[in-house]
Amino acid sequence: MYSIGLRYCGGCNPQIDRARAVRGLQEGLKKLGMAVNFTADRDSVVDLLLLVNGCVHACLEEAYLKQGGTTRFISAKGEMVDNHYVREDRIPEILIKKIAELIGPPSP
Amino acid sequence: MMNGKEYIESLRGLNHEVYFLGQRIKSIVDEPMFQPHIHTAAMTYELAHDPEHQEIMTATSHLTGERINRFAHIHHSIDDLVKKVRMMRLLGQKTGTCFQRCVGLDGLNAVYVTTYDIDQKHGTTYHERFKNYLLEVQKNDWMPSGAMTDARGDRSLRPSKQKHPDAYLHIKERLKDGIIVSGMKAHITGAINSHEILTMPTRTMGEEDRDFSLSFAIPADAKGVTYVFSRQTNDTRRLDGVLDAGNPKYGIVGGEAIIIFKDVFVPWERVFMAGEYGFTNELVETFAGYHRSNYGGCKVGLADVVIGGSNWIAEAHGIERASHIVDKLTEMIAMAETCWSCTLACSYEGYRTPSGAYHIHPLLANVTKLNITRMVYEWMRLAQDIAGGKIITLPSEKDLENPETMKILTECFAGKEGFPPMDIIKMLRLIENMSVGAGLPEAMHGAGSPAAQKIMIARRSGIDRKMELAKTVAGINRDTDFERIIGKDETAHWNEVKKKIQEKRVQIY
Repeated sequence: MYSIGLRYCGGCNPQIDRARAVRGLQEGLKKLGMAVNFTADRDSVVDLLLLVNGCVHACLEEAYLKQGGTTRFISAKGEMVDNHYVREDRIPEILIKKIAELIGPPSP
Repeated sequence: MMNGKEYIESLRGLNHEVYFLGQRIKSIVDEPMFQPHIHTAAMTYELAHDPEHQEIMTATSHLTGERINRFAHIHHSIDDLVKKVRMMRLLGQKTGTCFQRCVGLDGLNAVYVTTYDIDQKHGTTYHERFKNYLLEVQKNDWMPSGAMTDARGDRSLRPSKQKHPDAYLHIKERLKDGIIVSGMKAHITGAINSHEILTMPTRTMGEEDRDFSLSFAIPADAKGVTYVFSRQTNDTRRLDGVLDAGNPKYGIVGGEAIIIFKDVFVPWERVFMAGEYGFTNELVETFAGYHRSNYGGCKVGLADVVIGGSNWIAEAHGIERASHIVDKLTEMIAMAETCWSCTLACSYEGYRTPSGAYHIHPLLANVTKLNITRMVYEWMRLAQDIAGGKIITLPSEKDLENPETMKILTECFAGKEGFPPMDIIKMLRLIENMSVGAGLPEAMHGAGSPAAQKIMIARRSGIDRKMELAKTVAGINRDTDFERIIGKDETAHWNEVKKKIQEKRVQIY
């Protein structure tokens, strides 16, 4: 099963509801029948990291890049996902699209 | 990179139409009214060659990998944003006034960020054009003025509804090879001593204002461009001598001018927005964010000078140990460092935009500038308080040099031993220059008036989330963190507590 490592920033003053965005993503994937295992265990080997930053400053992404992490990642950061501005209510949908591109369509 | 002298000489190559006090100014470099402003801008060039300051005054171009003046740089990291405001404070300290070049710097960065986003949406090629222009700016070490604010006429009317069409800069005609523009930009800092003009819209535009949704760059002496240099308080003291001007080397504020565009041709390769009204808000807000954050750098540099001057005057008057003087100076320092903290926070909390350029934290930038609109007045008020009434009643330089009055005046203005009377007068004139003149309304309105900052602060404050926080703490919302701490449902917990209270099993105090 495709595995995603879930990382949250510290959440000091988030511009978005990070947990709600992740819930929306998980529910969306489930509806589409896409089997994905999410883990918050930092020692697990995963296919993809989802960095969930509360604001565009993106502490988590900054730290990950600084430490030279090599696992592929998607960074949600305030009202941005990777390099694009996204309204908060559309973050789950954009994340699903990105994940689907990586793992292919759901099995029939 | 040019040095200070080379910058001044480069201005001699400009052949622009500049008017001041009803006269055409033939050579801006040789005009005593303009020289202080030119010296200040020259400082931005000179310090880039000083090994003591190169670390913050220069940067590595992301386009060429070459060392360039930071004023021509696109911020590509948090470190760049931090160094930018350090550079602002340094230059404020060195000149005691506005050094003008940050407007163009912020314009370059804002247009860089926005053209990328326009292209993403509309498939245009503005960003590539702009990068080509930026290469020229960096290669030639040009100072572009950032021309944003329009004359604006009747502010209750949209740009397209104005009685005079030139109240806002606009496209008059679209040609195969470029556009023809007309209009007016007002209070443009450093305009007459810049090599280029970089224009941006002044407000959010709607569909009916398509032709006003405009950004381009032209040489400062392009055909059809006329400048009218603005007046400042006590400006013609520069023509009376040296002492009375207060800061004869560097002047006061930025040397603003009105720029009139009359049927100016702009080739397409220098047009960076032409009708994309949906991006005017982004361009205005991006520019405003950069520019408002700067004020916690430059004005704090000025505060360093005026605080130092106030302390020196207190010593010269023999009152430096009076508790109220110490208290006032401490207040001034605390306010200045508060603004500095704000601007550093803007940079450290910055972020990477889709273009790759870094932007400051917009909410904090507006808070910084709002503090500046208040605190500059307050620390200048305290400077006046410490300096005493002499700052507005001193005799003129001519009377101080007149043999009939010189002796008695200088003797009576002598202070404590070791403080020559003419030095005391020099310092008082500097404090007068900085605290009485145009610098105050500039701190109020430069980079936008307080109301503009409050609009942005309200818009970006995340007030809904704050209400949710309050509701959680008040017990209106479910507090899952608290439930984990107590290990049970919150309602059940309070029911138990109430029961225990009734049973008097806990002590209430």
